[in-house]
Amino acid sequence: MSKSPIISNGFSRRRFLQYSSLAAGTSILAACTGGGDSGSSQADLGENPIKVGVMYSTTGSIAIVEKSLQDATFLAIEQINTGTGPWEGKGEGIGGRKIERVVVNPNSDWDLYNQMSKRLIDEDQVVCVLGCYTSASRKSVLPVFEEKDSILYYPVYYEGNECSSNVFYTGAAPNQQITDSIPYCYDNFGPKGFFVGSDYIYPKESNRIAIAELEEAGGQAVGDEYAALGTTEFITIINKIKAAQPDFVLSNLVGDSIPAFYRQFKDAGISAEDIPIMAYPTTEEEIQAMGPEYSAGHYSSFNYFQSVETAENEAFVAQFKEMFGDDRVTNGVMEAAYIQTFFMAQAMSDILEAGDEINTETLREATRGQEFNAPQGPVKMDEANYHAYLYSRIGKWQEDGQAEIVFATDAAVKPIPWSQALYKGRMCEHPTPDDRSDPNKETGKDLEPVFL
Amino acid sequence: MSGRRRADRSTPSVFLAASAFQYPSSQKTTEKTKVLCLALADALSINLKTMLDLALSSMMSSPIYLLAQDAAADVTEATGESFSYTSLANQALNGIGIVGILLLTALGLAITFGVMRIINLAHGEFIMLGAYITFWMQDTFNMDLLLTIPFAFIGTALVGALVELTIIRRLYGRPLETLLATWGLSIVLQGVIKLIFTAQLKYVKAPSYLSGSIDLMTDEAGSALVSISYYRFFIVVVALALLGITMFLFYGTSWGRQIRAVTQNRSMSQCLGVNTKLIDMGTFAYGCGLAGIAGTVISALKTVSPPMGQDYLVDSWMVVVTGGVDKLIGILAGAFLIGESNAIIAFLLNDPTARVLVLGAVIVLIRYRPEGLFTVQKRS
Repeated sequence: MSKSPIISNGFSRRRFLQYSSLAAGTSILAACTGGGDSGSSQADLGENPIKVGVMYSTTGSIAIVEKSLQDATFLAIEQINTGTGPWEGKGEGIGGRKIERVVVNPNSDWDLYNQMSKRLIDEDQVVCVLGCYTSASRKSVLPVFEEKDSILYYPVYYEGNECSSNVFYTGAAPNQQITDSIPYCYDNFGPKGFFVGSDYIYPKESNRIAIAELEEAGGQAVGDEYAALGTTEFITIINKIKAAQPDFVLSNLVGDSIPAFYRQFKDAGISAEDIPIMAYPTTEEEIQAMGPEYSAGHYSSFNYFQSVETAENEAFVAQFKEMFGDDRVTNGVMEAAYIQTFFMAQAMSDILEAGDEINTETLREATRGQEFNAPQGPVKMDEANYHAYLYSRIGKWQEDGQAEIVFATDAAVKPIPWSQALYKGRMCEHPTPDDRSDPNKETGKDLEPVFL
Repeated sequence: MSGRRRADRSTPSVFLAASAFQYPSSQKTTEKTKVLCLALADALSINLKTMLDLALSSMMSSPIYLLAQDAAADVTEATGESFSYTSLANQALNGIGIVGILLLTALGLAITFGVMRIINLAHGEFIMLGAYITFWMQDTFNMDLLLTIPFAFIGTALVGALVELTIIRRLYGRPLETLLATWGLSIVLQGVIKLIFTAQLKYVKAPSYLSGSIDLMTDEAGSALVSISYYRFFIVVVALALLGITMFLFYGTSWGRQIRAVTQNRSMSQCLGVNTKLIDMGTFAYGCGLAGIAGTVISALKTVSPPMGQDYLVDSWMVVVTGGVDKLIGILAGAFLIGESNAIIAFLLNDPTARVLVLGAVIVLIRYRPEGLFTVQKRS
């Protein structure tokens, strides 16, 4: 038997130092940049777990938002695996099988979302993926999910105008967020709106729809300004707002820009009484970061606020704080990430009960029409267009950083993926069973709001 | 040389901008310009065509263009008002606020790069460290923002000294390695902060006595037409004060003389008994400390998050490079030029266009004055 070369040469001290420092360095790097499987442990998943991809960036510019989406998703998976929370009484896991989460971190890089979704589907063989936040990342992965015929659950309010057989949208469609907030602004603040946003697809499209809605209501846009993603210097835009003297500002700024904008808005001497800001992406999390004194008196339009008074929400907030700390807040996007995990789990549960195998086709058919008692109230996944019935609410921010709900629909609103101000009468209807043909239908008439 | 340039294409923008300054100044200036052009295109993550598209489309939506359009008459009426001279004066005054922030954030770099010639890509992270020290002190001791300034200075200076001792010291005279090392350092610092404080945005309380604004001009109804907020004014004052203190330290004390001696002729100063290692460490720590103060002061107006430093890195580089790297006073000119032109152009057109135009102007400037606006004539 020949001796191993390492032993024969002796494992020199220098080499030991080299290797050990390399190992230490790599582990430090991994700790710093790695996705970090925080939250609960994944040990002991029992027999035959169901593999689900979780794709949120925990590093990079969007990590601030996506990390909390990941947290909400982990909370839901934990509850399903342990049979607690909304999963109480259904036993541990789904029909005895637990969810194995396959976590990837695309580092806020749109191209990486594309690559990692391919990896999740091809190599990890997940049955579906929960993930994405920005529209840019969704657009980047959409071709992958369509080509490989897999399913993405997407938890974010978005600009609409999309209808895919491979995506379930749990966030607000335009008619569940913009359609109610613009008339509210027009009636309560006045006809002149100034539109600001970050310079990428969602804010531009969302503002385009909002401007169309405002003009339909009889108002006008007196300004339309965009700042590069991540900008924190807003004095120019604020001076333009001052000069244009609008009745309200509609903000579609996202991420890091939000606290800077509100702070500089107040610092420039504009009070919330003079020019209120109506925003879509501003949630409890950003309010906490900017300090409630800067947001008090401004408005947000969302499906869910932490202050919504339901028993389900009380439990959700308490469970979330218990898992991630008392200083954390919940917001609408996190709630959507939480809901969609249960939509998925209920669908899987139905499939297993019917004795079928979980794959893209069965999961797609089973997810359609799922209902869930969400923190925001009872919601449902629309059978025809794969968007969720959601409540439409407008909150006025208070001194304590929570919203006083000044407008709410009585029940969840049926989603209309296509903006009716831009594409009148266009609706999205997937056939049953879904053969992935073009789902867009021109109804040619005004679509009336339908409630659950 | 051509092979090296090709390799540069895939490296981050700041790399390129920085490497442009690694060519000896006797070399042809076109080399620098080419590399900087690449850097600019990369910095905006778009190629030249989309850049033009962007500029064009944003001009289409600008007030000037709308003024020329009859069809959009009612929109013009509203936005046209913004063209009054008082609004422009207000914007110019607030441009001074931007200048203050640029000056403050670039000052530390003017020392680490301008004086010591260390390509410090972790500069933004030292700004971030200052902001987090302020956040931490406010969070635990409930301290006023102004009182945390000395702690932010000392804290970041200590980290800076440690970095100099462990990394930078070993890499003097090897600019490319320094560049890589500091780039890595910036990633590590962001990661460490994220581990300690999580990725959530943090809230820093602004001092209440600095809220409100100075009104230079008001209309009949009493609402301000030309005004600047106390806090922005405060930033300008802090920036100028720090520049003054730094210039005094550098040109009026024996420590400053030693620093300049070391940077001009290291071995000769060593022969004359100057402790060059101590001087190096002290200077680098001082530069980092200044970045820390910048972080503290801007944290009340901006957003505190682990990647926040990246925002200021490119701007700081542009300021230092425009002003010239040899004279500290140069950064005042650099900050003023970039800040004001940015503010005015952004007001007339819009922010993204202003950025393209100003960065383009910096390239042209570097093409014809590669040594920056202010520089000492040296014999090479």
